[in-house]
This record gives sequence, structure tokens and C-alpha cells, in this order.
Amino acid sequence: MSFLLQRSDVGEFRRRYRWLVLVVLISFLGLIGRLVQLQLVQGDMHRAQARRNIVRERYLATTRGVIRDANGRVLAANRPSYTVYVTPSKLDLETTWPKLQKLLELDEEERKKLDERIRRVRAEALAPRAPGEKERRTEQQLLLQYDVDRDVVAWLETHEPAGVEVAPTPVRYYPYGELAAHLLGYMREVDAEALARLEGRGYRAGDRIGAIGVERRWESYLRGQRGMKKILRGLRGNLSRENVEALEAKYLEEPRRIEPVPGRDISLTIDIDLVASIERAMRGQLAGAVSVIDVRTGRILAAFSKPSFDPNVVSGGAGVAAAVDAFKRLMSDPLKPMLDKNISAAYPPGSTFKPFTALAGLADGLIDPDYEVDCRGGYQYGRRFFRCTGVHRHVDLHDAIVQSCNTYFYDLGARISIDRLAAIGLDYGFGIKTGIGINPEAKGRMPTRAWYTRRYKEAFRGGFTLLSAIGQGASTVSVLQLALAYAAIANGGTLYQPQVVRSIETSDGTVVQEFPPRVRRMVDVDAEHLRLVQKALEGVVKDRRGTANKERLEGIEMAGKTGTAQVTHVTPRGVDPEKVWYFNRDHAWFAGFWPARAPEIAIVVLVEHGGGGGKNAVPVAMRVVRDWIKLKEKRLSAQAAPGAP
Amino acid sequence: MRTDRVSFRAGPSVDMPLIVVAVVIVTLGLVNLYSATSVYVDSAQRARLADVYVSQIYWVVVGGLLAIVVAAIDYRHFERLANFLYLGGLLSLGFVFILGSDIRGSSRWIEIGRFAFQPSEFMKIVLILMLARFLHNDTRTEPRTIGHLLPAIGIVAVPWAAVMAQPDLGTSVIYLLIAVSMLSMNKVRRGSLLAMAGTVAAAVPLAWKYVLRDYQKARVTSFLDPEADKTGTGWHALQSQTAIGNGQLFGEGFMQGTQNQFGFLPDQYSDFPFAVFAEDWGFVGGVCLIALYAFLSIWAIHIASESKDRFGAAVAIGVGSMIFWHSVLNIGMAVGLLPVVGITLPLFSYGGSSIVTTLIGIGLLMNVSMRR
Repeated sequence: MSFLLQRSDVGEFRRRYRWLVLVVLISFLGLIGRLVQLQLVQGDMHRAQARRNIVRERYLATTRGVIRDANGRVLAANRPSYTVYVTPSKLDLETTWPKLQKLLELDEEERKKLDERIRRVRAEALAPRAPGEKERRTEQQLLLQYDVDRDVVAWLETHEPAGVEVAPTPVRYYPYGELAAHLLGYMREVDAEALARLEGRGYRAGDRIGAIGVERRWESYLRGQRGMKKILRGLRGNLSRENVEALEAKYLEEPRRIEPVPGRDISLTIDIDLVASIERAMRGQLAGAVSVIDVRTGRILAAFSKPSFDPNVVSGGAGVAAAVDAFKRLMSDPLKPMLDKNISAAYPPGSTFKPFTALAGLADGLIDPDYEVDCRGGYQYGRRFFRCTGVHRHVDLHDAIVQSCNTYFYDLGARISIDRLAAIGLDYGFGIKTGIGINPEAKGRMPTRAWYTRRYKEAFRGGFTLLSAIGQGASTVSVLQLALAYAAIANGGTLYQPQVVRSIETSDGTVVQEFPPRVRRMVDVDAEHLRLVQKALEGVVKDRRGTANKERLEGIEMAGKTGTAQVTHVTPRGVDPEKVWYFNRDHAWFAGFWPARAPEIAIVVLVEHGGGGGKNAVPVAMRVVRDWIKLKEKRLSAQAAPGAP
Repeated sequence: MRTDRVSFRAGPSVDMPLIVVAVVIVTLGLVNLYSATSVYVDSAQRARLADVYVSQIYWVVVGGLLAIVVAAIDYRHFERLANFLYLGGLLSLGFVFILGSDIRGSSRWIEIGRFAFQPSEFMKIVLILMLARFLHNDTRTEPRTIGHLLPAIGIVAVPWAAVMAQPDLGTSVIYLLIAVSMLSMNKVRRGSLLAMAGTVAAAVPLAWKYVLRDYQKARVTSFLDPEADKTGTGWHALQSQTAIGNGQLFGEGFMQGTQNQFGFLPDQYSDFPFAVFAEDWGFVGGVCLIALYAFLSIWAIHIASESKDRFGAAVAIGVGSMIFWHSVLNIGMAVGLLPVVGITLPLFSYGGSSIVTTLIGIGLLMNVSMRR
């Protein structure tokens, strides 16, 4: 730096030059020091960040497993559906937008609303940036229409108008609509609570998850695993395919793509044709439930709950608005369409409980087949008179069950303890969960002395036992529990765990897991006692005096018990006072099995507020069994025919 | 070194190192601008960016011609013209408020036909000439007091206020830095120095409260804590640092910097050309570019030291400080050492007014260098 010392004709300035040079050198060295830090020391970190900036992981949707019935009919599948989005800032308002309106057949109101929103978003996106305002998202998208017509999709895909995007969104599809909806379940968007609970299992906001029934219980099998594809971000416009591929090869790290794994398929035990026949048989009734199970395996052949709902709609297949609407309607309906009345609700069993009271009496030696009671229309117990349904005069056990004589059972109830009745109930699976695994289970209740004491805080009264003996009072059971208990009576005392899922398969049909029948318990019961009860149940239908005799169908050898369960007189909330009478009507029951001599299936019919069990529930059961026989014959002949599919 | 220099009487001679370095920086700037404007975007945007590149070449030609003209006229004429230029400059700054067009909320431009220029840029040169004139005419030898410096303070204060009002924080800071650099050539009495320092210290909080706009404050706060505002103002700064770091030792290669090519650098051709350059050419390129600016700054001091009068020396120091502060502040904000204020990288950033002003400054340096 010799030059700094040479000239001095500017006197005063001369002394400063050295300092200025020093300032310059220090400043620039400082910048170089920072470059060392950024580029050499932290270089790898910044490069990684730069790569993260341009690489996006796109998820590849997987396909949810298919649910089939016992005969391979598809009950839940996936349907391709297309959603149209627009990017208002890129949309051509002169040509594309009017064309879209025509294609999508928007009505005037929709058109106006969308038009307004599009113009507003567009104006916001294209407005000049205010000073200091951060980069704005100009690519905001608006949803234009769900589940767009195929022809429209085809047009959009060939013309690719700017600012319009067609996104495939698979929709869960339930071909049988309302049939077995409670058992199958439906799909809903995963909420924050579920997201937190399922953390680490790959759920993301906006994912759909099984809501109830099989869809929920077997979610982890049905769901599958989403795949992943890395893409470059920030590429816009007219880059040729080769260019993009070259850039991708350069910047995307392996693995660039992970294929999605489709979910497992599930085969159920139910026969959808049988469910359909139940639906037909129940058309005359407002509400109720029917369970049909195989007494030899505990498999559920059909479950029907009325009123039902369309899982297609509540899953959002017809759009979010339609789903929200449907939910509002369903939730405010006093007939509770969302409630699975087979599993999640408990009702007083009424006279259908009498066989179990009888079995307890027989086991304890309080009655024998010859023991008779003179029914004069009721039973005086202390200061209270307990009514019977009629005057049956001398009845033995057989007659008492056939004619459903309350007096006989009041007499037994007066001599048996309420805890014994609860115990036999528990033996047959009442008051505890069945272990079906889907949907919240109603345990029902087998009241004990302790329970009454806790509940009423006063001295236990013997009258409670009399009521329990005829299935009234505080006893409640679920339809499914009753079906399993009658199956146990039919099959000689085996209480099965109910099954809905028969097997799990991969998407190509290989069976991954099968579910053999599971016995919950062998009820400790004298075969002779069981035979007596079975015979009496046969008489209910067969005997001219039987409570189900009037509604029997020729040629159907059914055994069973009717029930007319009294309802506590309350007014459900939100019910029109004019219609309260309906909610105060008795529940109609029929619980039985078929064929009477070598039982195969157990069936329970509950008609909510249907009135008398004999008149209202029995015809349903008869028609269902008749259809079941027909279905069985059809299946057998199809199997027998060589080369049949 | 001294053999190619002859005395004034023997006729002017060209300062080759100055020309070579200036031409190298301008060339690198154009090359870099080409990279900065070739990002992966659609054709419409690309056409607009191509315009940027081509118009920059026009401006370089215009600026080069003006530099030759400025270099050709003996700088002592500028001393006499300084008053008029200063007056004209102030008037044009005034015009900005009447005719100025808004760009991002602040009026800095005057449009004449197709051209738009920023008077505040040219005012830097005028300010240098005016302050040089003040230093030239100040014949005192004793340490100066505030009173002595008052005229100079007045010379800066008027355009400074006008630019602050536009508002243009970056340019106003540059005015102050140029003035401080030039006046530091004088000896100032220690007491006065302390008093001035005290005044500045007191003025900062007041300016923060009453003068700075919200978005200007946001830039400073987000600089102090960039993580707190990752999507807003701090975003630009972080992306720039990522780009530079991504360059590593040898860079991603010309037009290969992903931060730039994939559009993560905002204002990549005006505010952050250094980030584009350092990403493409790495540490090696970045150090070379910094060395070129360092050379230019020190060469200006050298020219000043060889100047035959105070006016020439002061002009050289003024132009040198302008280039120095611009490059230090611009690179400083690109590397994240300084808050993001719109200060261009001389001869590198896109912008007609900036490049023409810097080239005129180079012309002045040449002028002083030639006439010793």
C-alpha cells in the first residue's frame, strides 16, 4: 500500500486513508467470514433445506378394502368420483367460466353464489401487494362441484382449461343402501380427537375413517397404506416432459415412489338377501330390529334395525352439504335411525324371558312338568294383585309357556329369589356384553336384590321378583342377546360369541385370516329340562292355544315365544303430543328358532311399540324364515348345478 | 503502476484497473441477471423477465456513454456546477411527490415517456459533488466543531428528508453514510463528535417511534429474530441465506441454483442478485465478487490519495463510499447480517437508475484519476 504514503497535497485527508482502507477490509472480510459460515460450515444444512424447498411428497391414495356378504355380494366398495376445483386467479371468466356453468348444469342460485365467490377471491388474489405485506397465496382454490358427471370429466380432461382442476376422490359406495347399514357402518372425516389418538398411524387431516359398525371395528384392516410420490415444486408452465424428468432425476432422492398397499377385504357372515327379506317383512312397521343367527356357530346371518340410514349419503357420497343435512335429520328423528337396535339398545324382554324363569324353576326343583297353577286372571301377592293376560285355569309348565300365562310365573316368582333369576339370565348371556366387537353394546340389565336396594334406597319388595319372572320390571335385554340365548336353548346349551366377520382376504382373494366359531360358555342345564322348554316353545306356534298359532305359516316348523313388553309411560323429548300414544304402546317380541326339531337358526323380532307380540312380531318372523328356506334351496340347487359360478 | 500515469499537463490517461474491474463486474452482473431471469416459469412470465435482461443491457450502454461524457469533462467544472445540480436535484425530488408513480406504496419514480427514473439515485452523485465542494472550500486546519459542519449537515438533511418521506429507507441511509464517510475526512473536535454521537443515539428511538413505517420496523424486528416470522418479512432473508449456503464451495453451477430457479428468491434480480450469484458459483464465486468490490472501494481511496486537490479527493472518497456502502449493505442483507432494506448491489442489480448512477460515479472516479 505504498501509494497511501506518496501524495500529500491534500494535507488533512492523508491521515484518513489508512483508516478508510482498514474499514473497507474489515467490512469485506466480515462478509467473507459469513460466507465461510453459510457455505462451508453450514453448507450441508442449507443444501438440505434448499432440497426440502423444492421437493414435495405427494401422497398416493390407497383403496379401502371391499366388504362382502357370506355369498360374495359386495356390500361396501369404492366408487371413483371426481371433484372439480377452480383457481379463480387463473380462471378465464369470459369463456371457461360460462362453459363450466353449462357443463355442470348449475342452477341460477348456485351460479350466482359461486360467481360472486370466484370474483371476490380473484379480486383479492390479483390486487397489488401493499408495502411490507407478505407473499400472498394467489392460488387459492374453490370447490365447484362434487361427484361430477363422467362426460364432464372427459371434456375437462381433453380441453384442460386454465384454472380448472379435476381431482379424483374415491367415495365409499354401499350398493345396498340402507340394508344392514348399522352393521356395515359408514365413513366420516377424521376429527382432531381421532387424529391425536391415532398419531403415528399415518392419518392426516381430511382422511376418512370408518365411523361405526364393521367399517370402524376393522378400520386398520380395511384402510390399507397410502403410497408416496416425490415431486418438484415451483415448476410452472411450459416445461417439456423431458425437461421435467431430467430435473426430477437430478433433485429427487430415492425412493422416489412408494406404491400404496390396498386394504384387506372382509367377508361377513351375513346374507344380504336375508336382510332384504327382513326389510320387506318389516315394511308395515315403523321401528324395530331383527336378528337372525346360526345356532350352530353363533354367526350372524342377518341384522336389521329400523329405521335405518343411507351410508352413502352420510359418508359424503352426495356431497358434504347433503351429509350434514342428513345427520341433522337423523339425529332429531325420535325413532332414532342412527341407533343400532340389535346391539346398542336394551328393551324389557317381556314374556320371551319366561323360558329362562322356567329353566331356573326346574333346575331348583321349585316346579316339575306336572306342577299346576290355577290361573283366575291374576295372582294375589300381599296387598297387590298381579294381572294375567287372561283366565287360563289349570296350567302346567307346557301350557303356561304355550299360552304365556303370567299367573304360573308369578307363582314361581313368589317362591324363587330375584338373584336366582338374574343368575340364570347371566348364564344365558343377559346383562353382559356379547363380545360382538362392533358398535357400542348395550349390556341390558338383570336386576338383583342389591341393584334394587341401591336404586330405590328402600326395603326390597317381593313384587319385583314377580315382575322379573315375566321379563318385566327392571329387566332389559338387547335383541342380539335374546337371539344368542334362544340359540343356546335350541342347540342344547351352547352360548356362542356372535360373529360378523367370517374371514379377511387380501385384495386378490387370498384368505389371510379366518374366524372359527367361538363358544362363550356351555350352560349347565339338564337336557331333559331343555327338551321340555323346547317342546313348549314348539307348542307356542303349533298348539291351537299357542300365542303364535294364529300367525303361523303352513309348513314352517318354528318354535318360539311371543312377548309383549310394557313400556314405561314417558314422553320422549321433541315428540308431537298428538303422537305420544305411539311411544306408549307395548313392544312386540318374537324369539324363536327353526326348524323346531333340529334347529339351524335363531330369530328374534322386535317391533318397537308394535303392540301385541303374537299379532305383530310373529308374522315378521314367519315371513323371514319362509324366505330363508327359499334362499337356502336356491343356494343348494345353485351349488349342485355343475360349473355354476 | 506509475509508468502509465502521466501528469495532467501531458494530457489525460485512462485508469486501466478501474475500467477492467468495472467491466468485469458489469459483465458478471449481466451473466448473473441472465441466470436470475431464467427461472422455471411459464412463457408469459419468462417473456417479462427477458425484458428485464434486455433493458439492463440498454441501461449499461446508456450508463457507459454517460460515464465517458462525465470522465471527459474536467471535474473542476463540476465543482462550479454543483450548486445548480443540487438545486435541480432537490426540484426533481419535489416533483416525485407531484408526478411520482407508486411502486409498492412509495413514490420514487418520475416517468418521462417510456422511461422512468429515480431522482433519489442521481441525487447521490449530486450530494457527493456538493459535499466535495463544501470540503474543498473549507480551508480550516483546526478540528471542526458542529457549527463548522452545520452547512454540510444542511446539505444532506434536505434531500434526506425528501427521500425519507417517499418513503425510501435504504436510500436515505445511503445518503447519511456517504455524508459521514466524506465528512470523516475532516478532523472533528472530540467534544463535537461525542455530542453528535449522543444526538444520533437519542434520535434512534424517536425515529423508531415517529418516522419509521410499520413495514420498515417489521424488517428490523424480523432481522433481529428471523425465526419468529418465517412466512412474513423474515422469509426473504431466510430464503436468501439458504440459497447462499446451498452454493457450498463451488456452487450449483450457472443457472442451476435451485433456490433461484424454483422461485424461492424474491426480487432475485434487484434485491438479491448476490444470493443468485453465490448459489450458482459458490464460496469461490462469492469471494471473488466481494474481492472485486473491495478492490473498487480501495482503488477509489487510492485515487483520492493521488488527487491533486481536495475536491477531487473528496469526490473519489464520495463515489468510493457510495459503492462501498451499497455493496456491503446489499451483501450484508443477502447473507443475513443486516436487515432487508432495498439497497442495490452496484453494477449488479437490475435497475436503470442504479446502474446509470453507479456508472456516472465510475466516470467521476476516472475523471479524478486521469487529472492528477
